[in-house]
Amino acid sequence: MKLKPEISDKEMITVNGVSKTYLGGKFTAVDNVSLDIIEGEIVAFVGPSGCGKTTVMRMVAGLETPTTGDILVNGHEVQGPGPDRGMIFQAYTSFPWLTSRQNVEYGMKILGIPAAERRERGQKLLEEVHLGPAADKYPSELSGGMKQRVAIARTLAQNPEVLLMDEPFGALDAQVRWEMQEMMVQIMDVEKKTVILVTHDIQEAIYLADRIVFYTRTPGRIKHDVYLDFKKGQRFTSKEDLLSQSGYLEVEKQMFAWMREEIQLQAT
Amino acid sequence: MSDTSIQSAAEASNRVRRKPKKLQLLTTLSGRQTMILGLIGMGAFFGLWEIAHLMTAEEAKRFLPSPISVVQALTALIQEKNFMADVGISAYRIFGSFFIACVIAVPLGILMGCFAPIRALINPVISGARYLPAASFIPLLLVWFGPTDSQKMALLILGVVFFLIALILDNTEAVATELVEAAQTMGASRWEIMVNVVGRAASPAIVDSMRNMIAVAYTYLVIAEIVAAQDGIGAVMMRAGRFLKVDVIMAGILAIGIMGVLTDIVFRAAAYYAFPWNRKRQG
Ligand SMILES: Nc1ncnc2c1ncn2[C@@H]1O[C@H](COP(=O)(O)OP(=O)(O)O)[C@@H](O)[C@H]1O
Ligand SMILES: [Mg+2]
Repeated sequence: MKLKPEISDKEMITVNGVSKTYLGGKFTAVDNVSLDIIEGEIVAFVGPSGCGKTTVMRMVAGLETPTTGDILVNGHEVQGPGPDRGMIFQAYTSFPWLTSRQNVEYGMKILGIPAAERRERGQKLLEEVHLGPAADKYPSELSGGMKQRVAIARTLAQNPEVLLMDEPFGALDAQVRWEMQEMMVQIMDVEKKTVILVTHDIQEAIYLADRIVFYTRTPGRIKHDVYLDFKKGQRFTSKEDLLSQSGYLEVEKQMFAWMREEIQLQAT
Repeated sequence: MSDTSIQSAAEASNRVRRKPKKLQLLTTLSGRQTMILGLIGMGAFFGLWEIAHLMTAEEAKRFLPSPISVVQALTALIQEKNFMADVGISAYRIFGSFFIACVIAVPLGILMGCFAPIRALINPVISGARYLPAASFIPLLLVWFGPTDSQKMALLILGVVFFLIALILDNTEAVATELVEAAQTMGASRWEIMVNVVGRAASPAIVDSMRNMIAVAYTYLVIAEIVAAQDGIGAVMMRAGRFLKVDVIMAGILAIGIMGVLTDIVFRAAAYYAFPWNRKRQG
């Protein structure tokens, strides 16, 4: 099935000439990155390992402050982390002392949402991520993919404007990753978020994203910023549908060529 | 290569497999097996003790009484000398002082683990204080408190509190950064994160630290009750020592051992029921 993403023309995330240095300025991780992300877009950050993708995302999340430049989310300058920007980490962050349901309700509790409403929205989200039967289990009783779904539902429960996902499926095996990717497409059709997805999996980026921002190796700069025009503004609920689109292979080849350029630069 | 060589290789590996080694890495035992092995170990200990007693020359036997006579001495103490009152007093000193030590160490350890400036401020003092032998405080505490319960409890507190703070600091620092960051991105306050994320995440490890440190508190009990004490298990043992009643001394040791084992069991059970989410997955 093909889905039409709802993309407005409102700027949701603006990254203005952002750089980030570590070690007292001796090491530049991110160098002068500028980006505008439109409300409803799914943007993938792709690039070689250690190029600064996570750093840019963490600065949008407010977990890291830019050394220079600034970041606006929905018109407000990012000053620190906040529930308007939900983040999903590669490491499992579902709280082990809470059941799936309690985890999903936790974020809403922080926001002061009344118990009855928490319960109702929590149940809806648990079902959206196919965790209905595991609602009252602890994370230690769940598989990696299920733990990650708990984290996704917990983040969505806060109804953030922006969803930041840092290699969310990186620790999962190929089959589970594929299931999660297809699930994400369906969820995004319901929840309609502006998404940044950090990944080094080129296929994942092409499948999930409307647009790909490709970074150079350290120091991270934007190498290419491309819309996936071959998708004709659609998202696909099955990966086979994507693969049968004409133009898919060209894009994938292009991404691999860019990746090779960056990796070979590193070797010399 | 002929078939026979393959067969013989298979046979050889069968031969190896037919005799499973008793001590394999990474195996687990059933509760029943664990209990049986534990009982065998204890039986062996008392057996060796009994043998040592039998082999001791007759005139020296009173210096190494048999396990049974130690148990008899213990029952006699309980029935004739109101020993349970002394046990009660010792228990009060241990648990009372340990409770106070926890009231100090848990919040402080968590605060230090969460906030670098607090850690930097307090850690040098705590780390240094751990190297001071608690017993060296006895003269000071006697001057301050006199030969009172407070003096003994202060000693027990001094003996464990610095280690407890250091352990709880470690437990807190071991909490995954991602859990804290996830809570921050959800908009949780610092207090909320400290109590309901870091505190909750570290709680099983903290209870473990407490369980280990109360064992250390027991080791200070006798030191606390040897000096200027009229009551408590340590005082009873000191008095028996003056009359060379080795069976009574050993009965005191046995009583402390039993209390220690019971305390350990209580802590383990409490952790099991308090943290159902942390139970090891049963195979
Ligand atoms: N806190 C830090 N201190 C020093 N260097 C860091 C720190 N965080 C990240 N880096 C460095 O910055 C670079 C970019 O890291 P990161 O954003 O995690 O890369 P990516 O997510 O693209 O793999 C890496 O070389 C990494 O080692
Ligand atoms: Mg990364």
